[in-house]
Amino acid sequence: MWNDLVELLFQAYEQFSLLPLFIEIALAFIIIAIAATIIAYGAIMYKRYKSYVHEKRVAFINPIIEDLITEQVLLNDSLGRDIPTEEIEFNPEAITNKVYKKPFVRQILIDTLIQYRKNFRGEVGDLLRKLYLDMGLDKDSFAKMKSVRWEKKIKAVVELTQMDITISDVTILPLTNSTNASLRAAARNAYIQLSKNEPFKFFDIATEPLLPWDQLEMFKIITTTKDIAIPNFSRWVSYSSNKSVVSFCLKLIAHYDQQSAVPAVMELLNNKDHYFRADAISCLGKLSAEASEEKMVKIYNHQPLNCQLEILKAMGNIASGKYLEFLKSEFLFSSNFDIRMNAARAIIKHNTQNSRLLVEELMEMTYEENQLIIKHCLNPLIKY
Amino acid sequence: MGVTFVEIASGFFETSVFIYGVSLLLIYALLAIMSFLNIALFLRKESYTDYKVIVGSPLAPGISVIAPAFNEGLTIISNVRSLLTFDYPNYEVIIINDGSTDDTLEKVINEFSLVKVDFAYDIKLSAKPVRGVYKSRDEAYAKLIVVDKENGKAKADATNVGINVSNFPYFLCTDVDCILHEQTLGMLIRPMLEEENMRVIATGATLRMANSCEVDEGVLIAIKAPRPLLARFQELEYIRSFVMGKMGWSYINAVPNVSGGLGMFDKEIAVKAGGYDPASFGEDMELRMRMSRYVYDNKIKASVRYIPTTLCWTEGPTSVKIFMRQRTRWARGLLQLMLAHKKMLFNPAYGRVGLIVFPYNFFFELLAPVVEFLGIIYYLFLIYFGLVNWPYAIILLIFVYTYSVMISSLSVLWDQLTFQYYKTWKDVIRVIAMVFVEMIIYHPLIVVFSLRGYWFQLTNRKHSWGNMQRAGFKKKSDDKSKKPQPAVSPS
Repeated sequence: MWNDLVELLFQAYEQFSLLPLFIEIALAFIIIAIAATIIAYGAIMYKRYKSYVHEKRVAFINPIIEDLITEQVLLNDSLGRDIPTEEIEFNPEAITNKVYKKPFVRQILIDTLIQYRKNFRGEVGDLLRKLYLDMGLDKDSFAKMKSVRWEKKIKAVVELTQMDITISDVTILPLTNSTNASLRAAARNAYIQLSKNEPFKFFDIATEPLLPWDQLEMFKIITTTKDIAIPNFSRWVSYSSNKSVVSFCLKLIAHYDQQSAVPAVMELLNNKDHYFRADAISCLGKLSAEASEEKMVKIYNHQPLNCQLEILKAMGNIASGKYLEFLKSEFLFSSNFDIRMNAARAIIKHNTQNSRLLVEELMEMTYEENQLIIKHCLNPLIKY
Repeated sequence: MGVTFVEIASGFFETSVFIYGVSLLLIYALLAIMSFLNIALFLRKESYTDYKVIVGSPLAPGISVIAPAFNEGLTIISNVRSLLTFDYPNYEVIIINDGSTDDTLEKVINEFSLVKVDFAYDIKLSAKPVRGVYKSRDEAYAKLIVVDKENGKAKADATNVGINVSNFPYFLCTDVDCILHEQTLGMLIRPMLEEENMRVIATGATLRMANSCEVDEGVLIAIKAPRPLLARFQELEYIRSFVMGKMGWSYINAVPNVSGGLGMFDKEIAVKAGGYDPASFGEDMELRMRMSRYVYDNKIKASVRYIPTTLCWTEGPTSVKIFMRQRTRWARGLLQLMLAHKKMLFNPAYGRVGLIVFPYNFFFELLAPVVEFLGIIYYLFLIYFGLVNWPYAIILLIFVYTYSVMISSLSVLWDQLTFQYYKTWKDVIRVIAMVFVEMIIYHPLIVVFSLRGYWFQLTNRKHSWGNMQRAGFKKKSDDKSKKPQPAVSPS
């Protein structure tokens, strides 16, 4: 029987080898294609079945987890009695239930606790954290930190941060300069939230860029995290060689209205990078730094368009009234539409007797397109 | 001598077609691998991303959503409402009424309390004259701008007006009747903001058919595979094209095209490249190519990226006549593009665009229908003269068929591995069934309509936009006998 089969295969191979090359290739591809197609549908069935099972499991386990949190945390008798959170005990039977030994259940539990902690602060938030610790879920998170897969590390960093579990500087600081942009961003965000003394220490050692996308999240974290020690960001404006860090600090300086940073920011007006200069000008405008107006007007004619527009916007924000003539001349004589638009906006933003008279004067003396620009800027329905 | 020549010619043709076919199949195999890697990377990133973070961020860059509308009176209100629901902090919605002959403008004015305003803007891109710009008196619709313009007989013309009026550094181009995901802006801006050392000039995402989906007031309620056969074929084609094709090309920064239905662009580059070309039949491909030319000519390191998430649902044609018109136009656009930018072919000065995107488009998109057509003619010739080796011919046919089934099956698998949009097995099977019959029913149509497009373009035939008939989306409460809603386009 076995010999017959070998004989048959041998004959088939002999016949196959007699075929032209392109037919041999075609036959090989047919076998590969059929096999790949079968595997593809097998994988689709498996994936959908897995998702189905997962959904069922989640549907089964979610009420159990919800009950645990409700009974042990939300309805805990010790809440509101001025008992320190550390001294509140959970029902040992409830938290050592063997269902919580399964890895997928523990992960769902962590995710649920994080969701709850986003909604509850204060005593309840602290008790949720204690439940996380008492059930040993922090060990799961720390185990993920050791994974070679970066997305697992990120998950661990996020979990520990959300649960306010300290990660040692030795572990987290190197990650803030990781070449993997995603891991780097997560580590930086975590560092800001977890470091009590110097949350911005990593700015000193940051050699990798702070990408605009990461800045969005970091800005939100900085501006919404409670009790964060806000430093004087001009320190990095003056000394950091990382352009993205400086650019980000300029935004923070403007947000926190750090007037003491004005001299440091003004130094950037001499920087060779025009994108940098534009950021600095914008920052000065938001700080209403009147001291910078003269310098901005002085350098105006040598600037590229993006810096010129920022200067006009800044002058609108500062609105000192000293340079209305300059704005008027830009509005009347510039051939660039954006410059005229921003000059008109800057004049209108002054909102003083002089500026209003100037607007009236301009309406009378200028041509139709410029009049339209003024009407556009005066219309409260038009924001931009 | 004559026999020898025929032998040489047929030998040359057969060898060329064989090399061509094997190259195409290898490219598909490569695309399958690259798209898988790219999707895996995307999913790893998505596993911890919270797009809600950007909702309240003052640093989120502004985005202008541009949606031209022509005779959309029946659905315009729900369409606009849908576009005003993005989960993003800094955007404006610009609706361009492209000289509608129905009550599109009146409906929008009444519904959103619009008033005509003195609106100043710079005409950076030439287009048909604007008749008026409208803003809402209601603060709830402060993000809305409606522009009324003369009909330009092309979406490109209307979009150019939208770009002129727009205020933000990025713009999203879409069709007013498309249904977009609420996270569309956040998800498409992300690649623009997180690429190191490279300026991302355009991003896109997967499109799908909305034909049998349940929609309420412009919001998607339930996703379902299309019931009409033609739309179902298109669904499969879109999955293959976006989830496998574009994600694969995106992996090596060689995306050939950003779909006109949904694409986000860097406005500065788009404007400097000249904006959309109203004379083009494939204005989306054309803009992508011109933007690439601009960045290469100006030594700007740039990229175009795709994400596999479906963010846009559009209604696909369900009648062969409308489908033919659409594909004929696309084919004309492709040929037009190739002729207009022929300098880029194999031109190393244009990097990957000149060495990968353009050659691929030329050989495997433009020439494919021609090669197939010639192959069929040659086959018929061989059959007529009794020169066909039938066993071999059948093996080759099976080879092509099984390979195409494999590629489409892998596309469906990639799609299922990433997002299981279809909730029921029925929907999955509906799409999978198309994999096995596509080559016999749908593919020949594509070949014929493409050749028709090439012919029309070469003979300079005037293009008729004809009547576009929309069946409308299925509402949750709809009965099955919903009548089609005709919308007449200019001709």
